Parts: sequence; structure tokens; C-alpha cells
Amino acid sequence: MAVEDQRAPGRTQGRRRLIIASLVVLAALGFLVVRGLGNATLYFRTADEAVAQRQQLGTERFRIEGTVVDGTVKGMSNAVAFNIESKGVRVPVLHQGDPPELFKPNIPVVLEGHFQGDAFASDRIMVKHSEDYVAKHPSRVTVPPSTVP
Amino acid sequence: MRSGIGTRLLGTAAVASLALLAVMALVITPQDVNQLDAVRFLYIHVPLATLMYVAFGVTAVASVLYLWPRYRARKWDLLAGASAEIGVVVTGLVLVTGSIWGRTTWGVYWTWDARLTTTAVLFVLFLGYLALRRVGGDIDARAKRNAIAALAAAIDMPIVHKSVEWWRTLHQKSSILDEETFMHPHIHGSMYWTVLLGIGAFLLLFSWLLVNRYRLAKLEDRLEDEGLERAIAERRAEADALTGAP
Repeated sequence: MAVEDQRAPGRTQGRRRLIIASLVVLAALGFLVVRGLGNATLYFRTADEAVAQRQQLGTERFRIEGTVVDGTVKGMSNAVAFNIESKGVRVPVLHQGDPPELFKPNIPVVLEGHFQGDAFASDRIMVKHSEDYVAKHPSRVTVPPSTVP
Repeated sequence: MRSGIGTRLLGTAAVASLALLAVMALVITPQDVNQLDAVRFLYIHVPLATLMYVAFGVTAVASVLYLWPRYRARKWDLLAGASAEIGVVVTGLVLVTGSIWGRTTWGVYWTWDARLTTTAVLFVLFLGYLALRRVGGDIDARAKRNAIAALAAAIDMPIVHKSVEWWRTLHQKSSILDEETFMHPHIHGSMYWTVLLGIGAFLLLFSWLLVNRYRLAKLEDRLEDEGLERAIAERRAEADALTGAP
């Protein structure tokens, strides 16, 4: 009987299964914690922080956050140049590759890359969006209270 | 133990509200000013994330009740397991829908920020819990071990929820459960009501799944008990035959 077969494994096999299951879970958790939380606690530096830490950062790879400054975006073949700004500090950026679809001036972005001189050489743009969702046709609805200054 | 009229009504209500949600989410609600049509992920991703908390929350409460001597009963262990199983599937869907939404809005499928990482950890923790439930041993010892493991895994739940406030993340902050703006939601007009409808519809679906999965767990339990009794009876018959033999 199948029911009997399920009952058959004794204590040692149960214990072995328990150990294997725990090891698999621990390995997965270890990977996630090392891979993830190492980065996650300081996920990005804002543009002004990065400029203040310019010396220590050297050519180290990190994430930088700032708002894309209107009027500075220049598209080139397979690259895009723009400035980002945070607390009045501007950092010029040269990004290799195509920016994501939602990339545009006046939105916050997180970039991955490193300093090259005073500019930031980026190879990944992530568009940060806010927790506010507003309808595209403003005539149909009113402005939500959270966006009113 | 066939499903009763109540369960069938629950299932019907779940299907009807999900159909209404599909119409609201895909046809009636407007585009977002920034995200355009990608905002429609909101109506599935947020309800799924809510279910994730509810499912693992039920597991945690049932585990506490099992560990509490006054309320200790086999049913709490079965309920905890049933809810965690649904929770793991839902968390998988949270990660998948979030990933696709992330690709269309952020530009990446995955990034190791605190919200995404702690959610992935939650997924693995409860996957481990489900694996642990299958490990053998004495029924009561197993159930106690399950309950302690569930509570250990549940520690990650408030961390997931608060991660967007405790650390800098690419993921945006809470739109719904933001204590300061609870009555002034970040989500606009019909978009807000559709998110709430989504949460309601998915809660109905969850209740229906949970009722049925719990019923199945009880049947499995009974099968195991009866199988054991039959095995004992067979052994006893064998022994009787041996001793009874001349």
C-alpha cells in the first residue's frame, strides 16, 4: 500500500531529509542576504552625496540618484548625455546604450556606473517612479491631495 | 466532506468580482500620466501583495494558536500549512508581476534593493517552511516544529512592509497603507477604487482557495490516520495468524 510506504521511512531518513531541506534553504538565504542586503542598505547615493565623497569613490562602481535636469538631455548614436541634480548639486552623466522608455527630463533616476573625471559613466538607467498615480486626462479628475504642495 | 453551498457561493463571488476587476482595470480606468498603460499592473500587483501578507498572516496566527496550550488542536497546524501553500504561490506571482512591471517602468526586471530582496527572502523562507512540513516524525512534534518555523519566517513580513521606509529603494513607497495619508490616497479617483476592488476580489479568491485547501488537508490527514489504523490491523492479523498457527 502506498500509505504504508509513506510511513515506512524511519527516524534516520526523516532526519536526513530535514538536514538536506535546511541546507538548501540556508544556502538560498545566504546567497540572498550576501547578494542583496550588502547592496540594499545603501542602495544608492544621491548626486550631492556622491560629489562630497568623490575622492573616496575613485572609479569604484556604485549607484547614483538624481533628477534629470530639463534641457540638458542630448541623444547620440547609442549613447545619451544629461545632467542629474540633487540638492542643487549637478553631475554630468554619459550613458552608454538606450535609456528606458519612461526616461525623460524632470524625473528621478538611479544610475549604475562610476566616476570618470567629474562626470558619471553610466551603463544602466533605472527610472524611479513615485507612489502617486494620476490620471492622464486631468479634465476628468482633480489633483490628489498628496501632490498639492 | 463535499464542498457546501457556502463554498460554492464564495467561488462564484470570487469569479464575478475578478471579472468586474478585469473590466475596471483594462477598460474603465484611465492611463497614468507617467506610466500610461503600465499602471494597470497596479490592479493585480498590489492585491497580490496584500494577499501575500494575509496568507502568511493566517499561517502565523494559526501557528500561535497551535503553540498556545489552551487552544492547541490539530486543525491549526493544517490551516497554517494550507494558508502558507497559497501564500507561496501568491508571493511567486508578486515577484513575477513586479518584475514585468519593473521592466516596463524602471527599465529592469530585477535589482537588489531592500524591498525586492526582502520579498525574495520571504518567498524562500516559506518555501523552506513547506519543505519542513513534509519531514516526518511524531504528529505533535511535527506540528510544534512547523509552528515555530512559521513564526520565525513571519519575522520577515514587517521587514518587507517597512523596507521602503527604512532603506533607500528603487521601489516606491506604500500607496495604500501609508499611515499619514490613509484617508488621502496617493492613487487617483477610479484608479483607487479599482485597487480596492482588486484587493476585495483577490481576498474572495483567497478565501475560496483556503477553504478548499484546508478541506483537502483534513482529508489527507484522515487518509493518513485510516491508513495507519489499517496497517496496524493487518499486522495484528498477521501476528494472530502466527501465534494461532499450530
